[in-house]
Amino acid sequence: MKILKTGRWITVSGLALLAAVYVRALAFTPVERTQGMAQKIFYIHLPSAIWAEGAMIFVGVASIFFLFLKDARLDRFAEASAEVGLVFCTLVLTTGPIWGKPIWGTWWTWDARLTLTLLLFLMYVGYVLLRGAVTDPGLRARYAAVLGICGMSLVPFVHLSVYMFRTLHPQPIVIKPSAPSLPGEMLTTFLFSFVVFSILYVGFVTQRYALALLRERAEPHA
Amino acid sequence: MPDNTPYMIAAYIIVAVILVGYAVLLYRRTLKP
Amino acid sequence: MLRHAWLVARKDLLVEFRSRTAILSAVVFTILVLLVFNFGRDPTAVAAVDLAPSILWVTFTFAAMLALNRAFHLELENQALDGLLLAPVSRSSIYLGKLIANLAFVATVEAVGLPLFALFFNVRITPVLGPLVLVIALATIGFVAVGTLFSAMTGRTRFAELLLPVLLLPFMLPPLIWAVLATAALLAGRPLSEAGGWLRLLAAFDIVFVTLAFFLFPATVSE
Repeated sequence: MKILKTGRWITVSGLALLAAVYVRALAFTPVERTQGMAQKIFYIHLPSAIWAEGAMIFVGVASIFFLFLKDARLDRFAEASAEVGLVFCTLVLTTGPIWGKPIWGTWWTWDARLTLTLLLFLMYVGYVLLRGAVTDPGLRARYAAVLGICGMSLVPFVHLSVYMFRTLHPQPIVIKPSAPSLPGEMLTTFLFSFVVFSILYVGFVTQRYALALLRERAEPHA
Repeated sequence: MPDNTPYMIAAYIIVAVILVGYAVLLYRRTLKP
Repeated sequence: MLRHAWLVARKDLLVEFRSRTAILSAVVFTILVLLVFNFGRDPTAVAAVDLAPSILWVTFTFAAMLALNRAFHLELENQALDGLLLAPVSRSSIYLGKLIANLAFVATVEAVGLPLFALFFNVRITPVLGPLVLVIALATIGFVAVGTLFSAMTGRTRFAELLLPVLLLPFMLPPLIWAVLATAALLAGRPLSEAGGWLRLLAAFDIVFVTLAFFLFPATVSE
């Protein structure tokens, strides 16, 4: 199956490049002065975070189009993006606290960004569980689409809360997504890592899409 | 700041494990759906 | 269409009032929770006003979950939902009707719970009653709007009762957090402008999700 083979190749390339990212981040990027070695977690944390959220946006958009166009390919893509999003979200939730502990002194705080990531994780889990709980394929696709659209719609609200929190609480010294404030070499490493994580997203989603397709072909239509 | 290299190593290992693990998982699931 | 919605709501509410079991259990549960929280704290160590917002909202959230769990069970029991779908009523009015009925249920429980809460915990709510009721109303509309939509989907699945809270959780947390923060600000006597931000978020959430649910509901029931 061509989709599957393509997916596998993309993933393997992504993983090989990931090793290169590791080498560059650890050996060829300057160490940050105030945070020390722990700051290097940034290079794998932020790209994961971007894709954790990005995957949900793709799920939402695919779901909207699916409800209008009823094309099964859109549903399969949403299914794939949700599972991959769940994986990336797990990365964020593990690397985040590990980075936070030495820098903030605590594994967790309830600041808006962490809360958003937790909510995102719960949404992915819910989405996967819902798909698992509905047996009829037509119903499953529609229900998942409804949930996906709701999930995507929630994300901007929690972002809004970040702005609100800014006026009431001090921001922890955390990743600033505004790249310009990052010195040259660190920026390059980050961008390199972001490209590699994007490759991994594409590779994973392609394979997972293929899996959904294989499963559909395996079960005879009722 | 005291040396926090162990945290960095832990994070890098976990990410590698999860990503490679997921790739392997996908590979095996697509061998026989 | 509003007339149809009202008819659907009336039907649900009439069934509810005839049996009264669910609403009674919700009220009893509310009282239980309030009592447990009261005896669970040391009054010399913790001031009531510090815990108050959390206690209030835990109680209201449980009441909302109870209402929602019941919502579609009513229909599913005798496949009455199919009957409802055959009626010349637009799908979205069914949603509105269910929403109104669920809101009425939760509002009743809250109307009983709020004065009891003020009484048991000796919290002065009258100076901020207006804004407080507004916060409660907006947050409740938020949970129930999304919950009514989701209960239409989970009703027919396996593990339905377990699935609904899991799906609902990420959607209840933001309004719940905003509501607790707003309640805390109001009860602590802080200037109204502080609670204002949370109120605006709650209102925006309600507008977006009621509209979304209104348009998405037909996708959950049509063939």
